[in-house]
Amino acid sequence: MVGPTASLSNLHRADGSASYKCPVTGYDVLGAVNAPIELPARKDALKPEDATIEVFVKPGKATAGVGERYVERILRTMLEKVILGREKGLPRRGVVITLAAVGGEAAERGDSYITIIPALLHASLLALISAAVPLSMTFTTTLLGVTRSGQIIRDPSPAAAKAVASLHVLSFSSKGHLLLSESQGRFDFETWELVRQQAASICRAVATTGSDGDTDMGEGADGAHVDAFVRETVEDSLHRDYTWKLESA
Amino acid sequence: MAREAPPALVEQEFILNALKEDIRLDGRGVDQFRPLNITFGEEYGHVKLQLGKTSLVVRISAEVTKPRDDRPFDGLFNIAMELSAMGSPAWENGRSTDYETHVTHVLDRVVRHSNALDTESLCILKGVSCWSIRADVHVLDYDGNLTDAACIAVMTGLQHFRRPDAVVRDGQVIVYGVEERVPVALNITHKPLSVSFCTFNEGHNILVDATRKEEQAAEGEMVIGINNGGEVCFVSKFSGASLDPISVVEKTDVALLKVKELNTQLDKVLQADLAKRAKLGMADESRAANDR
Repeated sequence: MVGPTASLSNLHRADGSASYKCPVTGYDVLGAVNAPIELPARKDALKPEDATIEVFVKPGKATAGVGERYVERILRTMLEKVILGREKGLPRRGVVITLAAVGGEAAERGDSYITIIPALLHASLLALISAAVPLSMTFTTTLLGVTRSGQIIRDPSPAAAKAVASLHVLSFSSKGHLLLSESQGRFDFETWELVRQQAASICRAVATTGSDGDTDMGEGADGAHVDAFVRETVEDSLHRDYTWKLESA
Repeated sequence: MAREAPPALVEQEFILNALKEDIRLDGRGVDQFRPLNITFGEEYGHVKLQLGKTSLVVRISAEVTKPRDDRPFDGLFNIAMELSAMGSPAWENGRSTDYETHVTHVLDRVVRHSNALDTESLCILKGVSCWSIRADVHVLDYDGNLTDAACIAVMTGLQHFRRPDAVVRDGQVIVYGVEERVPVALNITHKPLSVSFCTFNEGHNILVDATRKEEQAAEGEMVIGINNGGEVCFVSKFSGASLDPISVVEKTDVALLKVKELNTQLDKVLQADLAKRAKLGMADESRAANDR
């Protein structure tokens, strides 16, 4: 399986930026973060001791509509928990996250919109890291589809997502907590539990302990873990940023 | 932040005084564009453009819709440009600025109203169905001269784009997929581009392709839309200091020269990309192995 590709800090004007491309689902998202930024008056009055998080999703080939507003809400509620908005310099300031689908696939009219969430979340996480916004933890997200025969498929493309019985987006923190669970379609709780287990093993490199006490070493066949991918991307960019220091040492 | 942070007064003075000696901050000539770099994405009509540090992405898409009642023979063509906080922290998401209205107006005038894209060729069945072409401009980095950059990118995108073939059989519209029939290029009638000029020092210095800092130090602005044949399709002098009419005429010649230069460059890039695509397509067809 071809893994996703990502790069950090590719824009000049934004405080932090990242591009995330997933060849399997076909999404290509560019994220930009401006933080901390002065917000127009009165927006910060509701929570004076916290930062205001704004998420803006821009579709590639259409005007933004209900679908974008829907995923923006999901992203905002999740990121508000992860960003440390009470750190020095952040209260009463804004963290503006702009995400644009600059290439690749797009969900057609009437398609499920949750298929794009993993790409958006990864792009915003990497952009937040690139902008050096304080975060309590990192996270990884995956999209799973359950076919009518009960088979779980990883990262279905928008075309394949039309045919599945249910779609699930799950996000895990770097400490293993379940941060986000969005589902669509018909499924029972047992299916969801199976989906959760598989998602956990895809997202996290740390071995998960099964119910029988056996240590499951994760899906070796499925390629790299998303967690490792995020780490490697950030390590690479840090390495590049500090070349001057490493070489002089 | 509601507006761009202005450069310091000393910096503005420096720019103006340097210009008095005909020197620009980046050492360019008065009528010289910044290096232009155009790449294409995998799909048709996906253009990534970089003009100096200004960079943007244009995506062209086509859709079958019903034509407007008063124009049953015409297809639809729209340019959508929304400035988001990605391009500059001064732009707020979901709220349009004066600058956005200005740039979209110029784009609309130069590309759409000059009929660069022949909308009548987009008609499939009179009054029933037509193609709706949409150009989405995403500004990634803003460092001055957005109008010209966006104009070049949209025009390149239109020339690069291929729409699926559609035919009418027994009153039924059939749209063929890209695999079934070779997609069709759009009908471009002429290739207009805009060239913006910034004026300094009471109209003594008039610069082409100003950077953001130069734009902020400028006293006035003028945009000329012109095509390869020298037909002027748009002139605007919205704001700023007044300008000598003679210099408007003079700068029209400069604009023509620039547009010719740019269009040759665009043609070269487009040809190279099409040749690459043709080669890839042949390689795909002649391959014996199945795609696994």
